[in-house]
Amino acid sequence: MKKILLLCLGYFSLYARVISGSVPLASQDIAPRSGGDLLVSSELVQNILNYQQWGELFTYLQVHWFRLLFAVILIGVILVFAIHYMIIGAKVFNENCPHVLVYPMFQRVVHWIAALSFVLIVPTGLIMEFGKYLGGGEFVRISRHIHSIGTVIFIIVFIPLFYVWVRAMLLSFRDDTRWIYMLGGYLNKKHIKVPAGKFNAGQKMWFWMAILGGFVMIITGGAMYFENFDIALLQKLNLDQVDLLRISAIVHNFMGMAILALFITHLYMSLFAIKGSLQSMITGYKSVHELKYLHHSFYKKLLSKKLISEDYQED
Amino acid sequence: MSSFARMKFYCDDKRCIDCDGCSVACAEAHELPVGISRRKVVLLNEGVEGKEFSTSIACMHCTDAPCEQVCPVDCFYIREDGIVLHNKDICIGCGYCLYACPFGAPQFPKDGAFGTRGVMDKCTMCAGGPAETNSAHERKLYGQNRIAEGKVPVCAAMCSTKALLVGDSEDVSKIYRERISSKGHGVQSVPYGWSTAYGN
Repeated sequence: MKKILLLCLGYFSLYARVISGSVPLASQDIAPRSGGDLLVSSELVQNILNYQQWGELFTYLQVHWFRLLFAVILIGVILVFAIHYMIIGAKVFNENCPHVLVYPMFQRVVHWIAALSFVLIVPTGLIMEFGKYLGGGEFVRISRHIHSIGTVIFIIVFIPLFYVWVRAMLLSFRDDTRWIYMLGGYLNKKHIKVPAGKFNAGQKMWFWMAILGGFVMIITGGAMYFENFDIALLQKLNLDQVDLLRISAIVHNFMGMAILALFITHLYMSLFAIKGSLQSMITGYKSVHELKYLHHSFYKKLLSKKLISEDYQED
Repeated sequence: MSSFARMKFYCDDKRCIDCDGCSVACAEAHELPVGISRRKVVLLNEGVEGKEFSTSIACMHCTDAPCEQVCPVDCFYIREDGIVLHNKDICIGCGYCLYACPFGAPQFPKDGAFGTRGVMDKCTMCAGGPAETNSAHERKLYGQNRIAEGKVPVCAAMCSTKALLVGDSEDVSKIYRERISSKGHGVQSVPYGWSTAYGN
């Protein structure tokens, strides 16, 4: 008991030091010694001290990589799906069979609010990334503001989104590894019984990307939006405010690429690859036929609960 | 050899007396909003005996300016005399130039009803911007265009100890050499920030 108390006290004092800002600044002899730089203290010229560390990295990435990688992902992913659509095409399921309510009203509302925020955030982010081809100015500036407004919507819907789906989105090792191994059966025209619960591994990937990645985007984007704040934690890590902004920009860009790739994937799957998928998110109902093949584990669970019967026409 | 001047700033930290005159003169001359200082005087190694010095820092108008390279909307342009300027009608105020700048030069005044970050503002070496020279528009956005009028940038013009020099690289170097030789002793290091801004 005493030990626990001491431990708690230790943590608390560390916590208090970090938050209250009593952590000492960087020691006096870590300043750059190159050239004519005579700096010994990191307090005053905030931008200069760590420039070589994060400033140069940010500059290098922004000059050579970010725009290129975004272009590669944007064009590459769309191209891959265009080829997929031409060669393999959409999966079509019989709509004239019993339907099951998969997405209740609240889930659909939450989904569409999140969808609205993504539709606002993702294109405006790309507009900023490729702003020089659009001439900059008022149009890109307004896009920047829409990017922020979309973020506010996303922040509002973030917790409900997490709440309504987190249980169904928990990974199930057996189904998910098999799903990934067969790529969800999307490389095949035939109807295969795909191992997946209410959500398949791909949907789970997208959910966790939206939640965890979205959280990272909120934090890094918020840092860049508010720009001016002082946390003692930074000093402990020997970072300046501007370094936090630089790191935020780097993380925001890379995470943005990952989210963009999965966002396009989600759009393709719901709008093109599976017929009736969009409809199911509007009405909330999915056909038993689709569930049987694309969400086989979920289908078997419904069968065992006697919520559906097996006798219906497949074609 | 190029026949163009290559404009550079040089602050002699042996002469700078930390008076903040350059910063105030700049803010007044360009009628900058409160909270924006294109030029800042910083005191370094405060209280460390023998090492304390102050210097005046603004946009250094770097060679291969990193701000110009990272700008996502390409609003920067570099004049033939090396002055780095930007177009405020194109700038979107994203802040990337600040992240790329080794000197913390870019500033972002609050803008509009929501108080969001506005377009970037920085030292123009008193050379205005892309708007018509000496027009009201240019003056409003970028401040005075003293270079076009044949005047020295206001910060260096008013520096009481002539610590802050601005002009063609060769002229600045000449004054700098003369100062060292007239002193006749000691080693004067490369001016603070020069290797970062202009390379070796």
